[in-house]
Amino acid sequence: MRYGLLATADPQTSIEWMIYLTKKYYRMFLDGTKLTLYIAVLGTLIGFVLGYVIGIIQDAKTGQGDNLLKKGCVRILKIIAAAYVEVFRDTPMIVQAMIIYYGIRQLGVDMMPVFAGILVTVLNTGAYMAETVRGGIGSIDIGQREGAWAMGMSPMKTMLYIVLPQAFKNIIPEMANTFLTNLKMTSVLNVIAVQELFMAAKTVGGNYYKYFESYLVIAVIYFVLCFLFNKLFNFLEKRLKGKTDYALAVEYMDNQ
Amino acid sequence: MGESIISIKELSKSFGDHEVLRKIDIDIDQGEIICIVGSSGSGKSTFLRCINKLEHQTSGRILYHGKEIRDVQREINEYRAKVGMVFQSFNLFNNMTVLQNCMICTRKVLHISKEEAFDRAITHLKEVGMAPFIHAKPSQLSGGQKQRVAIARSLCMNPEVLLFDEPTSALDPEMVGEVLNVMKNLATTGLTMIIVTHEMAFARDVSTRTIFMDRGYVAEDAPPSELFTRPKNPRTREFLSRYLAG
Ligand SMILES: Nc1ncnc2c1ncn2[C@@H]1O[C@H](COP(=O)(O)OP(=O)(O)OP(=O)(O)O)[C@@H](O)[C@H]1O
Ligand SMILES: [Mg+2]
Repeated sequence: MRYGLLATADPQTSIEWMIYLTKKYYRMFLDGTKLTLYIAVLGTLIGFVLGYVIGIIQDAKTGQGDNLLKKGCVRILKIIAAAYVEVFRDTPMIVQAMIIYYGIRQLGVDMMPVFAGILVTVLNTGAYMAETVRGGIGSIDIGQREGAWAMGMSPMKTMLYIVLPQAFKNIIPEMANTFLTNLKMTSVLNVIAVQELFMAAKTVGGNYYKYFESYLVIAVIYFVLCFLFNKLFNFLEKRLKGKTDYALAVEYMDNQ
Repeated sequence: MGESIISIKELSKSFGDHEVLRKIDIDIDQGEIICIVGSSGSGKSTFLRCINKLEHQTSGRILYHGKEIRDVQREINEYRAKVGMVFQSFNLFNNMTVLQNCMICTRKVLHISKEEAFDRAITHLKEVGMAPFIHAKPSQLSGGQKQRVAIARSLCMNPEVLLFDEPTSALDPEMVGEVLNVMKNLATTGLTMIIVTHEMAFARDVSTRTIFMDRGYVAEDAPPSELFTRPKNPRTREFLSRYLAG
């Protein structure tokens, strides 16, 4: 006799198998989800910082008045930044993961797979974010910077107080996108034995030879995560848009 | 006559092969209101930008109180805090309110207290009639209002010299007057001003000295009463007659 959708003792249909596997291995799926989130969140956040640093370096300009040492340093930094961005944008993340993980092990450093996974995510995110940040900086008209410079604000502070806050706001949608991409891309990290969601599905599926059902389970998990984060980011974006009107400061009106 | 605030010595500027400024020599004294006129492309903006160090001169020197401004960022920043600039396109900070626009540089460059920065901002915003708008963002203001805020923002630094690059050229005609009035009032405070403008009536009435620039040269430098009525240089005459005709 069957017990409808909640039948677990004797699964027959795919749906029943999915429920069966989820119940039996919920710990594995849960741990996989946690690790996936952990790597995605940490990797993305640190990657953003790296992206900002690289993007700012790529945007740096030297004036005719700068001395040779400064010009040389900026030049070298720019070459390194450009090479890094190209290499990571033009190779697949799965290959980067293998090379970094096995490469560092070959150097005799015993590295945890999770650490390698975060490192790969950081480096990947940094390369893509660098371009985004550069675009974001470029979208702020040069006039605002000149306005600040003309009053004696240093180029560094101008970047910090005038340009970056606006660039940041402009690239929030792109940053949200990058995070969602990373959430999904962590699945490739199973090749270096990171116990994330994909690895969990692979293991669970193998136990009963029920790969279709097992991967469907994690597909649902990925979908729900991305869906929720997407909604959250849209909500935050709307909140950030802020007020469109302002109150006149009536206390200063009599002076008109 | 006292020592000049700014002395420009043989200042030249080229963009590639294009010589935009040719050996300009000018002394600017305390309290002078200098208007620079000249046809489009004669190098007026480039000259102001060189004075503020937004452009790096190809050769020549700029002395501030007799001391040369070298190409050291720190020295340039200190100098710019004393020699401000108002732009044709306002260049307000779009992410900040009017009040924040007027406080950020005094706070972060001069490091004065919040209270003092606020007081200065309100004082100068009142001066330009923009105090009621302290909570507005630049995008919510008209062109004339933006330019008045930009002027107040520069005044908050307590500059010795203010440079204006065609402050009314981007404005609708009905807003030109409100900005020119603010500038006229400023001219009576003893602030030294260098103004690039196409407003000939303003130049004639307000300036203490008018400079006609032509193809990168200072073609004529005279009190407005002379320059506008008895121009010595034939090219000045030609330029003015085009303006009077138009
Ligand atoms: N960054 C630049 N690169 C190359 N050429 C430039 C640059 N800036 C200005 N020029 C050139 O220098 C010349 C003088 O320009 P400038 O803007 O100083 O003229 P202007 O007198 O202010 O003209 P206008 O009245 O139209 O504002 C022009 O021929 C212009 O094309
Ligand atoms: Mg100009």
